[in-house]
Amino acid sequence: MMAKLHADHYADSMHQIDTPLKRNDQIGEGTFLIRVAAEPLARTLVPGQFVMIRLSGTNAPLIGRALAVYDVISDESGVPKWIDLVYLKKGTFTTALAESPLDTHVTLWGPLGNGFANRACDRLIMVAGGIGQTPMLLLGREALGTQNFGDEDRANGWSPVVEFIYGARRASLLAGVSDFEQAGFRVTLCTDDGSQGQQRLVPDILCERLEELKDSGESIRVVTCGPEIMMEKVAEACQATGVDCQVSMETPMACGIGICFSCVAQVRQDGPEEWDYKRTCVEGPIFDADQICW
Amino acid sequence: MDLSVTLGRLQLKNPIMVASGTFGYAREMEGIVDVSRLGAVLPKTITAEPRVGNAPWRTVETSAGLLNAIGLDNDGVDAFLEHHLPYLKEVGTSIVVSVAGRTEDDFVKLAERVGSQDGVAAVELNLSCPNVSGGIDFGTNAESCRKVVAATRDRTDVPILAKLTPNVTRIADIAQGAADGGADAVCLINTVLGIAIDWRRRKPMLGNGMGGLSGPAIKPIALRCVYQVATAVDIPIIGIGGIADIDDVMEFLVAGASAVQIGTANYYDPTVSTRLVDQLPAALGEIDSDSVSAFIGTLNR
Repeated sequence: MMAKLHADHYADSMHQIDTPLKRNDQIGEGTFLIRVAAEPLARTLVPGQFVMIRLSGTNAPLIGRALAVYDVISDESGVPKWIDLVYLKKGTFTTALAESPLDTHVTLWGPLGNGFANRACDRLIMVAGGIGQTPMLLLGREALGTQNFGDEDRANGWSPVVEFIYGARRASLLAGVSDFEQAGFRVTLCTDDGSQGQQRLVPDILCERLEELKDSGESIRVVTCGPEIMMEKVAEACQATGVDCQVSMETPMACGIGICFSCVAQVRQDGPEEWDYKRTCVEGPIFDADQICW
Repeated sequence: MDLSVTLGRLQLKNPIMVASGTFGYAREMEGIVDVSRLGAVLPKTITAEPRVGNAPWRTVETSAGLLNAIGLDNDGVDAFLEHHLPYLKEVGTSIVVSVAGRTEDDFVKLAERVGSQDGVAAVELNLSCPNVSGGIDFGTNAESCRKVVAATRDRTDVPILAKLTPNVTRIADIAQGAADGGADAVCLINTVLGIAIDWRRRKPMLGNGMGGLSGPAIKPIALRCVYQVATAVDIPIIGIGGIADIDDVMEFLVAGASAVQIGTANYYDPTVSTRLVDQLPAALGEIDSDSVSAFIGTLNR
């Protein structure tokens, strides 16, 4: 019998593919959506997993970038064939990608990481800020039971209600809102400048919801993705009210498969003061919020 | 087609190895490549005691390169022998264990302990990690290098490889020290010391300040080191540094390397290592060679 190794989510179902861009559309301010044929990845991935992507045939840039899978598209017979990735044009890679014409080849490897837990609850509240909305479309659909992922025996339809609290600095940066509305989530928007939705911060809206729901008797789960300070506040709100919370950590990765030890986060160990650096690519990127040393 | 190579007392089925620190403990790669097809696997460097490693950021991309300061994050030799070695022994190829210490005694004890384990084909002395203090001294002074290699040779029967730093004035002198100490081969090169700076924040980008540069950006430096040592020192060489495709492999072999280690390319092209094993026979065929050994060091000077 093999001794237990470090991580629970090595990239055992990973495929590396070279594939042309079939879409590369702007869907918000500086925000783009690409679509690629990626059947081997699309068939096995689960919400919250990610892929690494780079431009094929060039060393500029050299290292892959981690992107959450935004959507999985099936063909007429229901076979998952394409994946959509949503990214913010910000640095060298995303700028080059945004400027790449259709049929530019990209190299992808994935699916990677552990994905969100699919523990059943009465209400799933997804909290996203900035570009952190990207893993939420698939998760919410799985929770409602409108899209299946991974193995046939993987549970779906595990939360009858899905809320989505989504904030950005201004209205133009809110990307994909109609997708979330069409998916049947109860969407609450907010912006720093009040240009759309409430002029508040997402953790404040969450706190208010948790307060409203505290005597409902419902089992509530919260998941969050976005700027670390936002996730920390979300985690605090959940801890204060005893609500199950998972966070999607984004730490700078070089490989995505657990071999470079770049993407470490401080994760709590057995003792209250004990922590160790854990690779978010193979130990995460999804962590129970109370595991993270903020 | 004979792909096998001999490095002192170490024999490999082919010259494609993977570099320490760029392949995890091999378990990470199980679903990605057929590890058994590689010439050898080097798990991440181990130290006597667990090391938590450096604070993030640990890597920063630079032009065609990657700057890292991981800091030898590892769980120590006890955990390695208990958790990782049992797995590594079953992967179906040669296992070369990379070790690092602060003192000569650290290296000797680690090499002795690891080298006595069943299933360890060789020990690589990481005399050159730029991200921890102490270790680098052995790689920058020929006499210290000779002494640490000789001391480990005295205490263990496994082949000893000495991984050297390029951050020296004359690498051939250090390689000569390793040869005099009885190393079976020298591994050229570890990363090139560098720094990346965020001028707006007026801070280094890496948590540890400076780091080691790897990737295609350093290939000409690595190839030059192999070339210089092959000319001057009578010792087998393992070439490392920016190797990413079959042309790179052939360049190192013809310059005098008997084997190569694939490093940073594993990060951005996870299936590269076994692809190079696949491509090697055709590349040799292109020059009407049917043997890797016959091609090594045949550069027209």
